[in-house]
Amino acid sequence: MELDKDNANPTILNPSDLPSRHRESAARKREDGGTGLFHDLIPQYNYLSDPFDHPVSASDSDDDSVEDIDEQEIYDLISSISDPEHPLSLGSLAVVNLPDIHILPPTSPYSSISTVLVEVTPTITHCSLATVIGLGVRVRLEQALPPRFRVDVRIKKGTHSTDEAVNKQLGDKERVAAALENGTLMGVLRKMLSTCE
Amino acid sequence: MPPPPEALSYTLQPLATLSPPSNSRTWQSAPHPNLPLVGTACSDRTVRVYSLTSFTLLHTITGGHKRSVRSVSWKPGVKGQSVLATGSFDASAGIWRRDERGLEEQDYTRRRIGGDGDEGEEEEDDDYQFSCILDGHESEIKSLSWSPSGQYLATCSRDKSVWIWEELEDDNFETIAVLQEHDGDVKCVAWHPEEDLLASASYDDTVRLYREDADDWVQVALLDGHKMTVWWVEFEGSWMTRKDFRAHRDGLTEEQTRHVELSERSGPRLATCSDDCTVRIWHREPKEGTGRASTNTGIPSIIRSMAVDEDWVQEVVLPQRHERAIYSVSWSQKTGMIVSAGSDGKILVYKERWKTQTPNGASVGDEDTRMVENSQLTEWVVVAELFSAHDVFEINHVCWAARSDKGRRSEDEEVILSTGDDGEVKVWVLNELNIGELKGK
Repeated sequence: MELDKDNANPTILNPSDLPSRHRESAARKREDGGTGLFHDLIPQYNYLSDPFDHPVSASDSDDDSVEDIDEQEIYDLISSISDPEHPLSLGSLAVVNLPDIHILPPTSPYSSISTVLVEVTPTITHCSLATVIGLGVRVRLEQALPPRFRVDVRIKKGTHSTDEAVNKQLGDKERVAAALENGTLMGVLRKMLSTCE
Repeated sequence: MPPPPEALSYTLQPLATLSPPSNSRTWQSAPHPNLPLVGTACSDRTVRVYSLTSFTLLHTITGGHKRSVRSVSWKPGVKGQSVLATGSFDASAGIWRRDERGLEEQDYTRRRIGGDGDEGEEEEDDDYQFSCILDGHESEIKSLSWSPSGQYLATCSRDKSVWIWEELEDDNFETIAVLQEHDGDVKCVAWHPEEDLLASASYDDTVRLYREDADDWVQVALLDGHKMTVWWVEFEGSWMTRKDFRAHRDGLTEEQTRHVELSERSGPRLATCSDDCTVRIWHREPKEGTGRASTNTGIPSIIRSMAVDEDWVQEVVLPQRHERAIYSVSWSQKTGMIVSAGSDGKILVYKERWKTQTPNGASVGDEDTRMVENSQLTEWVVVAELFSAHDVFEINHVCWAARSDKGRRSEDEEVILSTGDDGEVKVWVLNELNIGELKGK
């Protein structure tokens, strides 16, 4: 794999240019009320935010009430995934980008199911590892997010030569489940996810 | 859960959760053809067999498959024993047997079987015994199904093929067909209730039908209409025109009578569901001069026209109320109602009825467009809708089963079984709301 990379010279973003909550959170939360679409309806989620900004009350921690999870948090969960062929994170390769992450609230008041849509941008249009990257993102989110989230991972339109076929595979629950029982593929995924906290 | 503002005339009430549940994803459940049992395919490589009388776990079938068990099917028409086929992501299918003579005679009072001695031996006999393995598929088996006569077993796989196996004698299976018509994973196989007609649904968005023609199994129809992966396919029960809303023939218009006659000639319909969030119903156009024997014995006509090709057309798309992939759809063999479930965690129940007719002359058009005619004559309405049936989890399968617990209200009463990502199989009863209740809301 080392000798035959699909893209030997990817563009790499400077870590300080990557989106992060630490610089933005205070100002953003004050000004626009946060980016969560149902920010006003549910309690603040404290897990990753600055502890001094929103003090955590003691009773909050094992409360399984609906928590606010926003796009930045999704980004934090997946940007640290390693690229399967470069020793770099998907964030620094701009494979995952904050503006391409969307959280859709439940479509009905009787439902508590939210949808996370992530569009990934493969480094080059014929990147054969697009499916593996997409799978890594889907698996990471399914493992890290509460089960009320449905995770849809797609290849960003126009960035990949076979995006429809890849999207269809990534959207197929049964194929994803079977892939996770495949030892070789799991080895690759485990390595990609090993750089996530 | 308050229903949306539409005349929902039934509610789904939880009756039980089969106990103990699996602690990993459950894929599909199959009710036993004549005993109050249900087998559940689990991702922990086991099959769990629960009682539908006590709602408790009776057996766990382990030690066979190396990966998820994706699908289970009970062989119909077997006396004295239960035969279960299991299809797994490990690309193999297994056949399992269990002696049930004691059970049938003693009407399920399991405890009493031990009474006639030899308890040690009985413990062993009590389990499902592995009897043989069917190897051949190159990748995950997604679904399998016995033909109604028990003569054939169909399996399908991600390797894009459908295999038909015939059991020549006990545990001696022969591959009689390998059908490679699909361009993608084959997700589901299902048999016609009366004829040796097999249907398969696929990742290539199509449904295909096959039958035997001069010793060879061949594709006889291609059903093209879904826009995305077709997850499930199931035939309507036998002679439902005598059981559902069409059974009351008094007061039907000429058109309606003709519609029922045509339905009887074309036979059981087909329901499919898809990633495209639709449930569709298809029917066969009766061939000129053929059709089923008018004696109505339920035995298929042996008259067959020269060409084996069949003309299946889409009859209707059911009201679209699912927001994500629909994984499963099932016809009630008693009432003709349809239940569907999927990724959005909802269970929907639909019922067909005569459309209220506008006075004479309104039925416009073409004698030939039977499809249009049908859709004008009957309509499907959502009669029950339940959100979050498995909390926030996806529902992988839903089906009807005979109600067998003490609370059963009539011989014919059915329950709905739903199988979810939470590892639970839930049992639901369908309660009709009376008019007063409806008005009160």
